Amino acid sequence: MWLVSVRDLQFRARRFVIAVIVTSLVFGIALAIDGMRRSVQSETPAIVALFGADRWVVAQGATGPFTTTRVLGATAADAVRRQPGVKRADPVVLSRTVIANPAKDANLVGHVLGGLGSPPISEGRSAQKSGEAVLSSGVSIDVGARILVGGKAFRVVGKTPNGRYYFGVPTVFVSLRDAQEIVFKGQPLVMGIAVKGTTRALAGTTTVTNSQVVSDLNRPLAGGVQSIVVMAVLMWLIAAGIIGLIVYLSAIERMRDFAVFKATGAPSRVIVGGLMLQAVIVSLVAAVVGVGVSKLVGLGLPFPSELGAAGILQLFAISVVVGVLASLAGVRRALTTDPAVAFGG
Amino acid sequence: MPEIRVRDLTMEYSSGGYVVRPFDHFDLDLATGNLALLLGASGCGKTTLLSMLASILTPTSGSIHVGDVEVTGLKGAALAAYRRRTVGVVFQAFNLIPSLTAQENIYMSMRYAGVARKPAKSRSEELLAMVGLEDRMHHRPGKLSGGQQQRVAIARALALDPPLIVADEPTASLDYVQVDGVIRLLRELAAPGRVVVIATHDERLLPLADRVVELTPRPSSESRPPDRVELAAGDVLFRQGAAGDLVYEVDSGRIDIVQEQSDGGENLLAVVEPGNYFGELAPMFGLRRAATARAGGEGPAVVTGYTLRDFRARRGEITPTAVLDHAGDGEIGS
Repeated sequence: MWLVSVRDLQFRARRFVIAVIVTSLVFGIALAIDGMRRSVQSETPAIVALFGADRWVVAQGATGPFTTTRVLGATAADAVRRQPGVKRADPVVLSRTVIANPAKDANLVGHVLGGLGSPPISEGRSAQKSGEAVLSSGVSIDVGARILVGGKAFRVVGKTPNGRYYFGVPTVFVSLRDAQEIVFKGQPLVMGIAVKGTTRALAGTTTVTNSQVVSDLNRPLAGGVQSIVVMAVLMWLIAAGIIGLIVYLSAIERMRDFAVFKATGAPSRVIVGGLMLQAVIVSLVAAVVGVGVSKLVGLGLPFPSELGAAGILQLFAISVVVGVLASLAGVRRALTTDPAVAFGG
Repeated sequence: MPEIRVRDLTMEYSSGGYVVRPFDHFDLDLATGNLALLLGASGCGKTTLLSMLASILTPTSGSIHVGDVEVTGLKGAALAAYRRRTVGVVFQAFNLIPSLTAQENIYMSMRYAGVARKPAKSRSEELLAMVGLEDRMHHRPGKLSGGQQQRVAIARALALDPPLIVADEPTASLDYVQVDGVIRLLRELAAPGRVVVIATHDERLLPLADRVVELTPRPSSESRPPDRVELAAGDVLFRQGAAGDLVYEVDSGRIDIVQEQSDGGENLLAVVEPGNYFGELAPMFGLRRAATARAGGEGPAVVTGYTLRDFRARRGEITPTAVLDHAGDGEIGS
C-alpha cells in the first residue's frame, strides 16, 4: 500500500512539492498566530504569578487589581498587615502608560521596592530607589538609558524576561511612589494589595484569588484570543483544502489505476489507505517545513509567538487530521470508480 | 477444471434512452486448455462478455460457471477473491500503474492478494524473465514500448497463476513487430488447467485459437430456400439485439418495427406493408437487430426471409448506400 503511495508522490513530485510549499506557508502562518494565542494565554498567569501573592485585596465592587477603576488608600495595606495569617501585604499600582521618544505603549507596575511585585532580573539590577525602572522584554532600550514614562524621567537599571501582558505589551516596573506620581499625581492611592498568607476583607474591600485575577485580566483579551483561534482554524481549513484539492486531482487522474485495482480484486482499504497516506505524508512534510516558516513569520509579528514542543506536537497531530480529512473527497471519488473503466481503450 | 459454462446469458442495459441487449439467451462452453477468440464488430459485446467472465459486470440474467464457481452470484470478499485468484485480466490499454516499475506492477498485485514480500518479489522477477523482460524490471511503463508494456500486463495477469485469463484486444495498441511476441505468449498460456479468452478484431490470431466464437454472424454469401413465416397479430419475428442473417419481405398483413425503450415503453419506427422489405442491415454489415419486428394490426402477417444473396437475386444488386437510404426512409433495415 505504502509503496504505491510513495511511488505516486515521486511520480507527481512537482505537484506535491508545490502543495507542500503552499501548505507549509499556511501551516506556518497558522502556527505563528496560534503561538500568539499561546503567548497571550500564558503571559497573564505569568504576570499574576510574578507578584508571588496568595490573595489580593481590592476595593469593594472591583473584579481585580489589573482592571479596576476603583482604588484603595495605600494605608489599607497597614490594616491588612495587622491581620493574623498575613505574612506580607504590599500595595500595587497597575496602569497603562506611554514610554516617550519614540512613544510606545507600556504597562506600568508600581510596587514596593524589594516587595511583592519586584520582577526577577536578567540584566542589570533591581530598582532600589525612586527614579529607577526595570523594563520587561519587548522594548529595545538598554540598561543605563534614560526614559520618560508618563512624563516622569527614569533611568533603566535592569531588565526582566517576564512581565509582558495585554497582548505582549511591555511593562515598566517602578517604585510605588513613582507610579502614584504618574497615575494619581502623587496621591497615596493603589489598585490593590498583594497579600502573602491568608487574609479577609476589610470594610469597603473584597479579596480575590490569583485565579480570579487571571480570569479578570483575561476577560478583555477574550475577543482578541477568539479572533486568533478563528483565524487559526481557518488556516487549518485552508491547508486541508489545498491538500484535498491536490489529492482529489490526483484521484481524478488515477481513476483508471483505481479501476484496475478494483477490476483485479484489490481490497478497498488499499485504495482508501493509499490516498489517505499520501495526504498525510504531504501534510506532515508541510508541517515540518511549516515550523520553520512560523519562525520567520513570528519575526514579523508585533507580539511574541510562543511555539514550544506542545505547539509542534499539536501541529503534527492536526496535520494528520487535516491530511485524513483532506483525502476524503479523493477517497470517495476513487471508491465510486467503476472497475469497467479499466476496459476502455 | 476450469471449464467455463455460460448458460442463458442475457445482458441488457440502457443507452440513450433505448435498450441495448448485446447478449440474449447466450450459451458458451470452453474446455480447459482452450484459447478462445471472441470475434465480432465493434459494439457486439466482446468486452462486455469478458467483463462478465471477470465478474466486473453482472448479467441481467443467466449464469456463468468458472469451474465450480457461480460467478454471477459473487459479492463482497468472495467477489474480490475471485477477481484476484481466479481471473487474470489483460487490458487493451495495458493499464499498468505509471508510477510503478515493471517489477513493482506485478509485485503489488501479489501483495494485495496477501502474498508475502519475498515470494512476491521473486515471483515477479521470474514472470518478467518469462516474458523476456528481465532487463526492463526497473523501468516504468513510460520507458517501455507498447509490446513490452503488454508483456508486463500479461505477466501481471499471471502473477497468481489464475485458471482463467481474459484479454481485451491485446494486440490493438501494438505494431506488427510487437504483436509477434505477445501472440506467442498468449498461445503458450493456454495450457491444461487454464482457459484463455481473447476478445479481438485481429484475424491474425485466428490460427492460434482452439475455439472461435463469432458474436455477430458473418454476412452470408450462401443461398438457401426462403424461410416463410406466418405470424399471428402481435407475434415477434425478431427481437432488438438478436443476431440476424435474413432480409424479410412482407407478403401479407403488416409488420411493425419498434424500438424498445429503457423505461419499458416502445417507439414505433416504421410500418412495413406487403411488397416492402426490412431487416437488411444486420446481414449486410454483421450487426445485431437494432429494433424488434412483429406482426402489427389486427390480423395475421406472412413474411418470407431470404439470405442476402437470394434477396439480391430477387431485387437486383443493392449497394450499401441504397440500404442506408432505405433504412433512413423509415423502412427500418436491421
